[in-house]
Amino acid sequence: MRALAASILFALSGAAAAVQPGDPLPAVSARELEAPAAPLALGSFRGSVVYVDFWASWCVPCRVSMPALERMYRKYRGLGLRVVGVNKDVAHADAERFLKRVAVSFPLVADGDDAVARAFDVQAMPSGYLVDRRGVVRYVHRGFTDETAAALAAEIEILLKEGG
Amino acid sequence: MRIGAAWILAAVAALLAGGCAPVAPYQRGYLARPDMALEENAGTAKALEKTFAAKEAASGGASVGGGGCGCN
Repeated sequence: MRALAASILFALSGAAAAVQPGDPLPAVSARELEAPAAPLALGSFRGSVVYVDFWASWCVPCRVSMPALERMYRKYRGLGLRVVGVNKDVAHADAERFLKRVAVSFPLVADGDDAVARAFDVQAMPSGYLVDRRGVVRYVHRGFTDETAAALAAEIEILLKEGG
Repeated sequence: MRIGAAWILAAVAALLAGGCAPVAPYQRGYLARPDMALEENAGTAKALEKTFAAKEAASGGASVGGGGCGCN
């Protein structure tokens, strides 16, 4: 029985802790979706308010979240908002098909080896992490509805007013 | 003898647990693949479900709504 307990504990110990408000932004980098040679480090946005969004073509609420994020990005980009979309599609063609219907102008990165998703320990799709200018995660959104969009816009405005 | 059986049971349980493959929410694209569907033709599946619901006077239980994102 002790062996069984030990094996269960061993299996559980591999699980990373999910990123929560108050945690620092995980120091990870990923390759851009359309330019695989160009790595994008999330830490390079220090000094800006950053929203890191995990999305996929098979994720139904992402059909709501991606256009909403594009609107917010266009509205607040000049004030210091950066949005990074981390794609979780297995096939690149699926992401491309989705983007033909929902075009976005913010940077998108691929995460084929799940390194970024594991660093955040993503618990749902979509998941979004709003990070302040000092690199601290302040708000986490799991799932996305119109109410989420309204709350997120208010949170972005609060963080944009804060100093670095 | 009983201790030996417990060890064997523990070893078998550990082996079986190792065979499980948890699917993280961000990996559910694999489950969304067409070849992972129980019925590959969505139209046929819907027709069968409708017929079943009419004949049995009961519906539901076949699947759940949503895209498998684990967020609802």
